[in-house]
Amino acid sequence: MSVQTTAKTSRPDPPRRTGTSAAARWRALRRRPLVTTLFPFAVVIAVWAVVAELGVFPSAFFVGPATVADSLLTSVQRGILPAYIVDSLTRLAVGTGVGLLVGVALGFLIGLNRHARRFSWPLLLFFQAIGDIAWLPIVIIWFGFSLTSVTVVIVYTVVFPLIISIVAGLDAIPTNLLRAASSLGASRWRMFWEVYVPGALPGLSSGVRTGLGYGWRALIAAEIIIGTSGVGFMMFDARRQGDVSHVFVGMAVLGVLWYMTDALVLAPLEKETVERWGLVEGIGR
Amino acid sequence: MSFLTVDRLNQVYTDVYTNEHTVAIDDVSFTIPAGEFVSLIGPSGCGKTTVLNIVAGFVEATGGAVQLEGVPVAGPGPDRGVVFQDFALFPWKTVLANVAFGLKMNGVGKAERQATAQEMIDLVGLSGFERKFPHELSGGMRQRAAVARVLATEPSIMLMDEPFASVDAQTRRVLQQEVLRIWDLRRTTVLFVTHDVDEAVFMSDRVIVLSTRPSQVQADIRIPIERPRSWTDMHTNEDFVSIRRELMGMLGVEGAEVAP
Amino acid sequence: MTMTHKIRTRARVESAAWFLSPFVVLLAAWLVAIPALDVSPRTFPSAPAVWSALVDQTAAGELIPHVLSSLGRVFLGAGIAVAVGVPAGLLMGMSAALSTFFSPLLRFSVALAGIAWIPLATLWLGYGNGAVVFVVFNAVFFAIVYNSMLGVRQTGTSLLRAARSLGASRWQMFWEVYLPGALPNIVTGLRVGLGFAWRGLIAAEIIATSTGLGYTLFLARQYYETDVIILMMILIGVLWLVMDRLLLAPFERRTIQRWSGERKARA
Ligand SMILES: Nc1ncnc2c1ncn2[C@@H]1O[C@H](COP(=O)(O)OP(=O)(O)O)[C@@H](O)[C@H]1O
Ligand SMILES: [Mg+2]
Repeated sequence: MSVQTTAKTSRPDPPRRTGTSAAARWRALRRRPLVTTLFPFAVVIAVWAVVAELGVFPSAFFVGPATVADSLLTSVQRGILPAYIVDSLTRLAVGTGVGLLVGVALGFLIGLNRHARRFSWPLLLFFQAIGDIAWLPIVIIWFGFSLTSVTVVIVYTVVFPLIISIVAGLDAIPTNLLRAASSLGASRWRMFWEVYVPGALPGLSSGVRTGLGYGWRALIAAEIIIGTSGVGFMMFDARRQGDVSHVFVGMAVLGVLWYMTDALVLAPLEKETVERWGLVEGIGR
Repeated sequence: MSFLTVDRLNQVYTDVYTNEHTVAIDDVSFTIPAGEFVSLIGPSGCGKTTVLNIVAGFVEATGGAVQLEGVPVAGPGPDRGVVFQDFALFPWKTVLANVAFGLKMNGVGKAERQATAQEMIDLVGLSGFERKFPHELSGGMRQRAAVARVLATEPSIMLMDEPFASVDAQTRRVLQQEVLRIWDLRRTTVLFVTHDVDEAVFMSDRVIVLSTRPSQVQADIRIPIERPRSWTDMHTNEDFVSIRRELMGMLGVEGAEVAP
Repeated sequence: MTMTHKIRTRARVESAAWFLSPFVVLLAAWLVAIPALDVSPRTFPSAPAVWSALVDQTAAGELIPHVLSSLGRVFLGAGIAVAVGVPAGLLMGMSAALSTFFSPLLRFSVALAGIAWIPLATLWLGYGNGAVVFVVFNAVFFAIVYNSMLGVRQTGTSLLRAARSLGASRWQMFWEVYLPGALPNIVTGLRVGLGFAWRGLIAAEIIATSTGLGYTLFLARQYYETDVIILMMILIGVLWLVMDRLLLAPFERRTIQRWSGERKARA
């Protein structure tokens, strides 16, 4: 359901030729994953620098990488940015944590119990359709401009994709696998832990990705609208003061944070489980 | 002394959307004595899988009864080991853990179940692949693992539903001989479903032929070929050739033999 | 024939009834709970209050223009994104070098698309329609380009070889092989992108305009008009479901499911 879970194109590398020419060395280098990933960003930053240098756009709207790096450094030195990042990440972590607890429990309940599914599925589709951000106004009325409001919205955001993906994951477990387990004498409890839980993991992992993708967007929106601290607040505050370079800083920070969540948390977990078992191919790589 | 009794089995499927009824099996009865290797053949869609699923306890029959050692069958259980066409190995478990699964489910201690699993893995010729995950094995190796998994729990009967249909022709012959070799060591009762006449004749003590849907037992033929059997001399074996021709005739594929 | 037809119709009516029954239960609980618990209308509105808000707003001629302006923004933004994004993605996918180059950039952009652009969009385009349409466009565009490209890359090598050996020209390859081959992925991209876009729309309307569902929703908060808030939330949910069922689902059924024979759990 999310973009990131689409399996990668796996084309075997051609046999390595042992060339010493610069072209061959470049080709070998380009096969290194880190290089293929970072090189395009280097090119984009270079183009960005040139465009800014040429003054194609007025500097009130568009600043170069040097200016952005400068703003980044000062706000790090002043301690504003680190504090805002910690604020944002804490909100996201708390919201996601609670969302995971609720979503996983409900996901398995709805996925495995026919009556629970029949009753809750239509409601689920509807509440998922309302979308997190639409809840912001009423949540603000209930809890004020507070951390609770932000958390509630993030939990709401994370829960629905999780439930839906877990149910889809459970439905996708092949019938014969369930039959094999019960014919080998698995009790209901054993079935749950040995078959349903691992079988639902591909769904769970794609649900977490989708949920987090929506979750941090909701966070940014909430920080802009509720506006007390955090990366979203910083960006919108900068925008109000016409400080375009801090808007760019915010976007770069968001991108890097997402990338790090992916590389340091999600990808390693998936590598150890669903990828290792051959259930999905290289998620998001 | 019949070991497995299938008595007047009848199965009608009802389509939940259209409420249409399909009589898959009309009236099927047969018995299997202990230690016999029996194949069930018939044209595609005649209800072979249905019969096997009922014996396995996956499907509840709309009519008739199945008894194993005099006890009516109710639901799946480790006394009837099932080998599936699509292997049905747990992707999240290593070969060793897959083979040990049934023992674990029945409360066997870790050391003991690993030892037994290892024994079975050696028996089916998968030594060295214990730590691999199923997706890292070839089709033939996966089916060996699936057979080992069933053997580990020492079922009183093995049920196999076209177990070699998804491996290549070469491997299929090797596996057929392998399964016979293992079967010869233990002489577990086997109910083997296939649509491949050669396979049925080669493997079995008896071949039961089902008619087209709604199916009944059309013939029940004993295979007097001596064991151990091997593919190398099978095509010159007179019994093999004549029984094969007879069965081909029943299934309506005589034309295949006349064709150049 | 008519017999089966009748049974099928009955089955459909039955499943619709099952689908609606949870909502009936929910509505009943709502009707009973608000007076029973004596909930203040400043905290949560009663069902009749929401109904009269709907009637009042419609009668005052305020509701329809807001709905239309929100929908207009979605269709405009998403339309431009599809028109530009699909060809761009397909062309990138047709070249191995281009797709290797753009892949990490696009993944990064998809992760960032939508709401995070609101500050920049309002800075560049000012508060108003332009900024909102830009946010919608941006949310759909990156998801569509990335997925179209992936779709082409995932088209089986043997399929490409078969088409080439049957004499397809480059132009024919594009129309007959790459485009249909990538369609399932394009639909996925559209779904993901629209999901981001719809949220982005509400957020952008709250922040940057004075028309639309998001604006009305947030304005009502200032006056504690919870009846209007809940009405808007229900409208937002219903509109999304209608878009999903009437536009995306049939398209998906005609492509992904038809071609692969697979039925996925609804997500
Ligand atoms: N779950 C089911 N629901 C409805 N019809 C079924 C079901 N399973 C099998 N059938 C029908 O029953 C008949 C026998 O199927 P099966 O036992 O799979 O045959 P075989 O294994 O001999 O090919 C077929 O016509 C098939 O379409
Ligand atoms: Mg079958």
